[in-house]
Amino acid sequence: MNSTVHDSLPCGIEYAALPLPKRHVVSFCLRVFAGAVDDPEEKLGLAKLVGETIDKGTERHTGRELSDAYDAIGASIDIGVGRETTTISCTVLPDHFERAVELTAEMLRTPTFPQEMFSVNVDLAQQELIALQDDPQSLADKIITRQSYGSVLGRYPLGEEATLARIKQDDLSEFWHNYYCGGRTIFSVAGAVEVSCATDTIEKHFAGFGQAEKQGRSPHPFDFNASATHQTKDLEQQQISLCWPGAEVTHSDFPAQRVMLGILSGGMSGRLFTEVREKQGLVYWVGAWNDTPRGGSLIFLGASTTPQRCDKTYATLLREVDRLADDVTQMELDRAITGILAARETRGDATRSQCMELINDLFFFGRPIPAEEKDEKIKAVGIGDIRSFFAKYPRDRISVVTLGPRALGQSDES
Amino acid sequence: MNNPYTMHKLDNGLQIVIEKMPDVRSAAAGFLVRTGARDEVAPQAGVSHFLEHMMFKGTAKRGWRDITIALDDLGSQYNAFTSEDRTVYYGWVRKADLEKQIEILADMLRSTLPGEEFDMEKNVVLEEIAMAKDSLEHIAFDFVQEKVFAGHPLAWPVLGYEKTVQDLSRDTMWDYFKKRYTPDNIVLVVSGQVDPAAIIDLAEKYCGSWKPGNEETRRTPPEIKGGIDSCCIDRFNQQILILTLPAVCSTDRLVESASAVATILGGDNSRFFWNIVQAGVSTRAGAYLMDYSDYGAMLLYGACQPENAEKLLDAIRRESKRICEDGVQEEEVDRVKNRRRTSLALESETPYHRLTHLMDDIEYRGGPRTVEQMLADVDAVSVQTVREYLERYPLDAAGHLASVGPRAWPTES
Repeated sequence: MNSTVHDSLPCGIEYAALPLPKRHVVSFCLRVFAGAVDDPEEKLGLAKLVGETIDKGTERHTGRELSDAYDAIGASIDIGVGRETTTISCTVLPDHFERAVELTAEMLRTPTFPQEMFSVNVDLAQQELIALQDDPQSLADKIITRQSYGSVLGRYPLGEEATLARIKQDDLSEFWHNYYCGGRTIFSVAGAVEVSCATDTIEKHFAGFGQAEKQGRSPHPFDFNASATHQTKDLEQQQISLCWPGAEVTHSDFPAQRVMLGILSGGMSGRLFTEVREKQGLVYWVGAWNDTPRGGSLIFLGASTTPQRCDKTYATLLREVDRLADDVTQMELDRAITGILAARETRGDATRSQCMELINDLFFFGRPIPAEEKDEKIKAVGIGDIRSFFAKYPRDRISVVTLGPRALGQSDES
Repeated sequence: MNNPYTMHKLDNGLQIVIEKMPDVRSAAAGFLVRTGARDEVAPQAGVSHFLEHMMFKGTAKRGWRDITIALDDLGSQYNAFTSEDRTVYYGWVRKADLEKQIEILADMLRSTLPGEEFDMEKNVVLEEIAMAKDSLEHIAFDFVQEKVFAGHPLAWPVLGYEKTVQDLSRDTMWDYFKKRYTPDNIVLVVSGQVDPAAIIDLAEKYCGSWKPGNEETRRTPPEIKGGIDSCCIDRFNQQILILTLPAVCSTDRLVESASAVATILGGDNSRFFWNIVQAGVSTRAGAYLMDYSDYGAMLLYGACQPENAEKLLDAIRRESKRICEDGVQEEEVDRVKNRRRTSLALESETPYHRLTHLMDDIEYRGGPRTVEQMLADVDAVSVQTVREYLERYPLDAAGHLASVGPRAWPTES
């Protein structure tokens, strides 16, 4: 029975709370609608720098004191800055829930962005950009994201060398002032805490957190750009990444997309693993997934292989997508559906997982979606839906990136 | 709290460890095989890992396709991994599917190593080795093992080398398999909302006919070598430095204190974070306790711009010296304990996480521990035990320094 409570507080924060009284922890998560899409074009990386520096000093505490205060209650806090939001997540023992919320509110409401911490974080961001060159898979992701989504949704949250150099300390305060407020914040909590206690605690510590009216809820539309790029790099393996537009998370076609991805790449019996790895030994890693900003999605296929096998791998990836609509079987469909349902049930034993599911529901749907409702939509997907899906979302226009020693069409084996 | 474990041994020597978790909806099962890279001979480096791949390729009852379909039909979250001293196969499923999960895993462990799949899978393993060569971190840690444990089986990479994998025959693997995958060398671990008596029956049903072996595992602890070694690879942009020092083994009473030292030096909100990363010297810096049943090593490491390598090394040495000379503060020890309490509470929620803890305890701590016992071990750490540890294993010793990246620095001379 779903006992999730969903509402908005006077401070503007929209929340969803799921009491799980038998659990021994409480997890909470906030998403502030402040991400790379909000960076000024000439100062890309600003939202990320704000996220990296926001915990480095408040009006009451230095960064180190703040970290020590979290540690004093055994709370570990994660801050991540993405394309559309900044996410803060935390798990604590139930007795320390209020203190953890209090510290998080202090951090988000009264950051000082000290000059020395700002300077170090700019320097570290520049170093991270260089380090990215040593991580081929992430580098290929960055290139294809920019190429396919374009100049706003395609931004790399870390920014670029030149844009980071333009950012000043005052820019952080200004960005924080513009984007960090109750009306731009969603909050989920799950675990051993009563709903009234949770909401009282949130309101108590976030009352007066900037503007309360809802903001930042509109998606950023994008025009998919279909093109192909090869970047030459001295690597042992060639990275292959390709994508095409799919359904957005809230669309009625999305369950079919999830099941389709399960058939392609849901387990070792998935089409890609079977056809690319097991039958031909072309790769160690191959996969399919979707990337889902609000307002759209892209379906990705990726693999890495030694250069002489690159063309064959690429051709097999495309072949498997192209034939799926024609020869998908009921058994494959059932298996993919089982995989999705079972994963929800097993992971549901983890409080943090429940909390993350709630925050994502708020982010995409603006309300918590009961597990039963989600499961019913997945169970309802049939072979006809998979076929119609490919008719509506064909891979006739694709974006391709290869990274490595050779461009496509230059392999020895084909 | 009552001991929630049921432990049993089948007549053929297979051990069973079961933990009941009454409040969960899922269950996890895994086979821990006590074999890994350190049980190989040099020309066969990588056989344990390649064998792990082959376990998915076919049995008398199932072909490779049948195995993966059977696992995915359960919606299982399954996988396998190989390390220096063990190979693990596991699956996490809805509780109603546990018997099937155990049956499939047990069947996989009686693989026929089908010859027709051997060469194809060899390609996959060679691709995995190629992938590792594109990871600076992977190269750096393999390089450390090669130098620090030179002359010992721990010196070679778990994946093996391109040549040893290329040269490996199915017959050689078969011999290794027959010797190492005997029931007396395997532990079945199960956690979740389960009936222990029923699990023992299942183990008897699916594993009871396995023939015991007579291979004795002969492992000798390595000697940790000192010195300076650099590996210059100019296609990378960062430099990784790793300082390796002797540490306690996993059964030593001071192992939790060693773990606390690693956290205080190199965890979140640590000395390295504030004094090295937040000083802008490197993007990453940490400490890792490698604690196995018969040896231990403390690895202090960081990644930086090549031109900052001297600064990074100085900073790591400075913090190591400081912790040895001044010890740690009460508050630092408390912080470690507080964080550990929360993480243990979190990890105790799911059968999968309990399974991994149980396997670690069985292999490295001499037997399973409850979450309460784990907490008690953490609570026993104090400023004094940390001091005692640092006196026994001083971190300001020279140790072994490895440097991997575009700079050929430093050289021993």
